[in-house]
Amino acid sequence: MSQTASPQAAPPPPAAAPAPAAPATATRAGTGHVDTPGLLNRWQLIGMSVAIVFGLLSAFVQFLGWQSDGRAAEDTKQLQRVQEIQSSLLRADALATNAFLVGGLEKQRATYDEEINTVLREITNAADAQPADREVLGELNVAVGDYTRAVADARSNNRQGFPVGAEYLSGASTQLRADATPILSALVKANTERAEGSMDGQHPFWLLLIGLLALAGLLWLNQQLAQHFRRRLNKGIAVAAAIVLVVTVIGVVGAWIRDSSNDTLRDGDLALAISQAKARTAANDAKANESLALIKRGSGAVYLEEWEGSATNVERSLRRDTGESWNDYVAVYREIRKLDDGGNWEKARDLATTSAASGSSKPLDDFDKASDQIVKAASGHVGHDLRSGRDVALAISIFSLLLGIGAALFVSRGIGERRREFS
Amino acid sequence: MKSVRLSRAMVGVMVAGGLFMSACGYDATVVPEAKAPATTSGSAIKPVECDNATQSYQPSNDAAAARRELLNPDRLVVGVSADTYQLGWANPFDDSRIQGFDIDVAKAVADALGVKLQLRVISAADRPTLLGAKTDGEAHEQEIDLVARNYTMNCTRWTQIGFSAVYYNATQKVLVRKDDVGDFEKRGVASLAGKDVCAPAGSTSIDNIKEIQPDVEAVPAANHTGCLVKFQQGEVDAITGDDTVLAGLAAQDPYAVVPDQQKLTDEPYGIGANKGDKDLIAFVNSVLEQRRSNGEWQKSYDKWLKPYLGNATAPAPTYGRR
Repeated sequence: MSQTASPQAAPPPPAAAPAPAAPATATRAGTGHVDTPGLLNRWQLIGMSVAIVFGLLSAFVQFLGWQSDGRAAEDTKQLQRVQEIQSSLLRADALATNAFLVGGLEKQRATYDEEINTVLREITNAADAQPADREVLGELNVAVGDYTRAVADARSNNRQGFPVGAEYLSGASTQLRADATPILSALVKANTERAEGSMDGQHPFWLLLIGLLALAGLLWLNQQLAQHFRRRLNKGIAVAAAIVLVVTVIGVVGAWIRDSSNDTLRDGDLALAISQAKARTAANDAKANESLALIKRGSGAVYLEEWEGSATNVERSLRRDTGESWNDYVAVYREIRKLDDGGNWEKARDLATTSAASGSSKPLDDFDKASDQIVKAASGHVGHDLRSGRDVALAISIFSLLLGIGAALFVSRGIGERRREFS
Repeated sequence: MKSVRLSRAMVGVMVAGGLFMSACGYDATVVPEAKAPATTSGSAIKPVECDNATQSYQPSNDAAAARRELLNPDRLVVGVSADTYQLGWANPFDDSRIQGFDIDVAKAVADALGVKLQLRVISAADRPTLLGAKTDGEAHEQEIDLVARNYTMNCTRWTQIGFSAVYYNATQKVLVRKDDVGDFEKRGVASLAGKDVCAPAGSTSIDNIKEIQPDVEAVPAANHTGCLVKFQQGEVDAITGDDTVLAGLAAQDPYAVVPDQQKLTDEPYGIGANKGDKDLIAFVNSVLEQRRSNGEWQKSYDKWLKPYLGNATAPAPTYGRR
């Protein structure tokens, strides 16, 4: 392939050539001759490589962004699942403990069963969806099994009038908080970190850097050619540079838009879904503690402290659309405590168990429903927004790769032109 | 040629990278280790010797003097159990009202004082502290007026609180599994060597059984019902406690049996009060005296305990404490 030819030996330019294309620098000091065809081959290789590597890297970074958004949507869904498990479990406990105050009211049993079914179903779904959570979800399954068995023991003893039933129930609630709560907290923390991490998967800076490096490479190549030939601009390289510029601008703008959209989602709907799910869990925890304190009849100081802690957690996330029902609940709760502390346990119990608007269950149920709806709506927005436009992002990624190859062909053509002029 | 090879290599790198990123999963979720709960050593009260553990103050029917010692002017707050079957338990068939042999005494005292009765459920370990006793050198604020919760009178407790005259003579016994009845009846407490025996924390039962059979593994629970849960879940082999309490536990579980046995100790029950509330204690003694004489004690015993413990009569009180 390589050809040794001195500039003096080079044939004169063909008559049809538009302009003299003789190398501007015919000789190099000390060497006496330059291997122009070899040089042109090397520059062609470098130029094509720059264009192809640009196309590959741009496409790869955009592909990672596309993949990351998909993962963020899945991670958000998983986060929603584990928070649903947490809220439903505490809701089930609130129902079980409240029912116990009136001798195991059967009318609340169906709702308790529904919540436990939700918990078990979501544990299975969550284990299928995220292998990294599978082991701890297995442990959670055991803890939920222990809890439901203890509640069943409590109920069956209570139905026979045996006081050991109350012991099974308070033991079940205590065990639930000791065993299941740390697992659920770890799951929520891990999946929040995953979802937030995945939402950071857009890299406009890297795309800009790759584009600038590629442009710098093509510019350098153009300068090399300009030094050796008498044409300042190589058309092929100029077209390749234009392609690189367009791809870079599209890629950077696209990634930047998605990055800011993800930031908005993370600080907006995702944060809202997380905080409202926490509030819902804490509210049901408070209701369970309210009932447990009444079951203990004066020796439930620990549950009163727990209630205050849960209430603080709820109040951190209160919104206008949930604040009213929560404040109504707190007012009835304070009345219940006043009655119980004043020796009117029966009246306090009645306020805690009635389904009428005057009791504590109704406003708590309203809060539970409202916060559940907020969580579902906000999580739905997050999932939808993360998935929307992903097809376009993938198409741009493929497009970048193809245009990179196209740019390489233009580089080849531009250098081929010089080769033809030279020969 | 070279550029084609390079392009192929780049495509390969990209595909491999993509596959790597797809296959690359998250680290497994880890649950942080729970902090071990701080272990509290048992009460290190030095046993006190005396020969008048059941001696209380002379009865007095001065209700006004007694009322002056109440924490609330119109209310008598009595610490009780809500899970000791037949002595004090919340009956789910009766709107969860707390009832039983101990509760009858509390009701009688409140009625005689002419004040409202507030029952506050407490654990065995809470009894002295809620009465305002100084325990382990630490003072506690008094939160209740009396304790009617199978409270055994002994000399050590007299240093912390005051007691009424004895209103029931219980005895400490052992409850075992149905399968172990034969062995227990043959060898007695010796058959418990190496076995896990449960009793409420803060009660005298654990100390007593360890003294008689040092080889038992004493397992504490918050209360006797907590012991029954451990027993039913196979965590302990036996439960020790007063015959009144054990009878209530056996009534809730057909596999739990209190075998024929010698009593381990005598457990005379008194109503607990703050050490300084001598007028209130004297008034309680007059109520107990009245219940003995008017047949209320017998009526209450026959209703709650006779079906499980057989015939018994009211114990004779001893007075003269100063």
